[in-house]
Amino acid sequence: MPSMTEAVPLSWVLLLAGALFCIGLFGALSRRNTVGILLGIELMLNAVNINLVAFWRYLEPNVVAGQTFALFVVTVAAAEAAVGLAMIIAIYRSRQTVNADEVDSLRG
Amino acid sequence: MNTFITILFVVFAVYILVAAIMTVTVKNIVHAALWLISSFFTVGALYLLMEAEFIGVAQVLIYVGAVSILILFAIMLTRDLEGTQNRQMTPRWWIALIVPAALFGLLITPTVLTYQWQLPPPAPAGQSTPIAGAAQIGTAFVREYLLPFQVASVLLTVALIGAVVIAFEERERRRYVPTLAEKVRQQQRVRRPDPAASAMQSSETAGSET
Amino acid sequence: MTDILRSLIGNALPDWLIVLIAYLLVTVIVLLFAVGNFIMMVWAERRVVARMQDRLGPNRVGPAGLLQPIADAVKMFTKEDIVPRTADRWVHLLAPVVSLAPVALMLAVIPWGRGWEPVDLHVAILYILAVSAVSGVGLMMAGWGSNNKFALLGAMRAVAQLVSYEIPAVISLLAIVILVGGMSLAQLPYLQAGVPLLGASIICGDPSGCASWLYSTTTLFPGSTQAPVQVLDVGLGWLVFTPVGLLGFAIFFIAALAEGERTPFDIPEADSEIVAGYMTEYSGMKFAVFYIAQYILNFTLAALAATAFLGGWQGPGVAALASMGGPWIHAAAALSAIYLLAKIWVLFFVMIWLRGAFPRLRVDQLMDFAWKLLLPLALVNIGSAALVVSITQWTGAQWGGLVNLDALTTWQRQLIAVAVSAIINGAATYWILSINQRPVLEPEARDEEWAAT
Repeated sequence: MPSMTEAVPLSWVLLLAGALFCIGLFGALSRRNTVGILLGIELMLNAVNINLVAFWRYLEPNVVAGQTFALFVVTVAAAEAAVGLAMIIAIYRSRQTVNADEVDSLRG
Repeated sequence: MNTFITILFVVFAVYILVAAIMTVTVKNIVHAALWLISSFFTVGALYLLMEAEFIGVAQVLIYVGAVSILILFAIMLTRDLEGTQNRQMTPRWWIALIVPAALFGLLITPTVLTYQWQLPPPAPAGQSTPIAGAAQIGTAFVREYLLPFQVASVLLTVALIGAVVIAFEERERRRYVPTLAEKVRQQQRVRRPDPAASAMQSSETAGSET
Repeated sequence: MTDILRSLIGNALPDWLIVLIAYLLVTVIVLLFAVGNFIMMVWAERRVVARMQDRLGPNRVGPAGLLQPIADAVKMFTKEDIVPRTADRWVHLLAPVVSLAPVALMLAVIPWGRGWEPVDLHVAILYILAVSAVSGVGLMMAGWGSNNKFALLGAMRAVAQLVSYEIPAVISLLAIVILVGGMSLAQLPYLQAGVPLLGASIICGDPSGCASWLYSTTTLFPGSTQAPVQVLDVGLGWLVFTPVGLLGFAIFFIAALAEGERTPFDIPEADSEIVAGYMTEYSGMKFAVFYIAQYILNFTLAALAATAFLGGWQGPGVAALASMGGPWIHAAAALSAIYLLAKIWVLFFVMIWLRGAFPRLRVDQLMDFAWKLLLPLALVNIGSAALVVSITQWTGAQWGGLVNLDALTTWQRQLIAVAVSAIINGAATYWILSINQRPVLEPEARDEEWAAT
């Protein structure tokens, strides 16, 4: 049974995850729209998950630690998305905007 | 067969990166969310390629099935009025470009390419390496990862209740949206002011002048 | 399939090409089969509903109107393709594809007959649920991309319904996963051999004295380390005959009706309220693709319900034919495929019947039904499934000395498990139904009641 470990070197997968993380970071830093920031954060969490699964598959495929970690990251990401989007909706209700730079009433 | 897997991996990787770039650069936020969803789906396919069946399917179930629907609902509930959303990026977005680019070019790439990974030896010909599947994950969740598993379920409950509490809107505080008939009536009232009210108003102003 | 191709073509082609061709062929066969069923389903639905409403239905094109779907298809193909000017063009065009693709993907893991499973995935049940969740994105795209308020309203209703009813569907299938100890769909029909209620638990005491056509060789329960035994098998050990399976089947079938947007849950496309829901702006082939997606989704959900609860391809005679070996194995496969198809069509007929009999629900009734009735029942069902597994499979040491069932035979333990789960499920169903039938008090009356206590 051919597997990915023979066909693709580990460093390619890690580079893919790194690039995805950096793109997500750029999105989270550069977007004005709060939903856009959240999209960037989701990309970063996905990159971390790719890394975890890749390490599991290439380094110790018979231990479940990597997959379990990835599942916990997915759980946290789902919780984060639910609470984050609820906050965005609450902010929109009180200020009629979702742009991060217009929500600045705590600025000194 | 190995070439086939390599080609598949390259196709997936390129698509994931293109979709991610579109997600962070495209102007329309709904399109950004749709690109993100397609990227999620391809990441799920990548997990299947890595023989992590359970994670791949869970990725599709949770990200594509739940999180993305949540995001689309949130976008549609907070739609900006026309014309106000002409600027998508923060004013100093080029700094935001430099930091991740430097992180990738100066830190991640050299580290990944120079480190010597201690890969386990490949399985002897005719045999396959033992891979932990869904059954092993399930056993692990009720044995050595029992406490984290329960903490995660508490976290989900807290997030569920928290999201409801934050986004809940009491009926009295709900913004009043007039119907079309009410709007028309209001405009007519502005155009033709009530004669009795205007007479009273003029008498009031006359009284204040004296 | 690979073996058949190999024997036909010989060793001329490399292995990976043969595998690729085999998969392509299987895909084409399964998709054609689904589309053929779609055509028959449209015809059957129109004729049966017409019969129930004292009409005739389509009866002009071909014998008994059988060619009507083909005439409809020709009409759909030749219609003008309209994209609204203010629509989001690409999203509007992609939406039908995004809602059809997941439905087509679901067909891959259904075991269509004995040994006729296109893909044997270890996490098949989870895969089907995950993939069916993707079609929600397609509906959302259709509603948003059309730039039409009825379309958006319909999409919001459809997605809210899909997400709410997915939960009882998942949890009712989870009870089955607990019972059979795995998420593989291909294994499910094998595990539903035996006799009604008791399943494959009546063991033949003396191997030489048991007729081979009445008994088959299986392991007692999945994951057991004991040697395979001879059990009484007439192919009727369907899970729906046990209390857990019956409640699970009821919950899953109702949730499947809602996911497939069948009456009485056709709120997203209620034509008397919101035109045609998310399909309002679609015409010609794009509309046809939505239509196909919906019917094939109903077909697949019926196939899934049949596989998980009604024994799948399992039926009287299949095991006996298969045990005769040689060419009879192919006969067994064909017979089993006919059994599965018959079960799917019976379930689809019930769907049509419900459409003829029931009016449409309101949105709040729909949500109440999912969250206050189906979800608690499904959770109770999981509890009794766990109890069944512990009664039938645990040793005295695993019970911690509280209960010791080691002395009983397999079918006695199965009978105890059935009785216990029947009591729990019956009581819970009665209680939850009676709670839900209590009239909802108006806010003022509720305040008064609170003040009185």
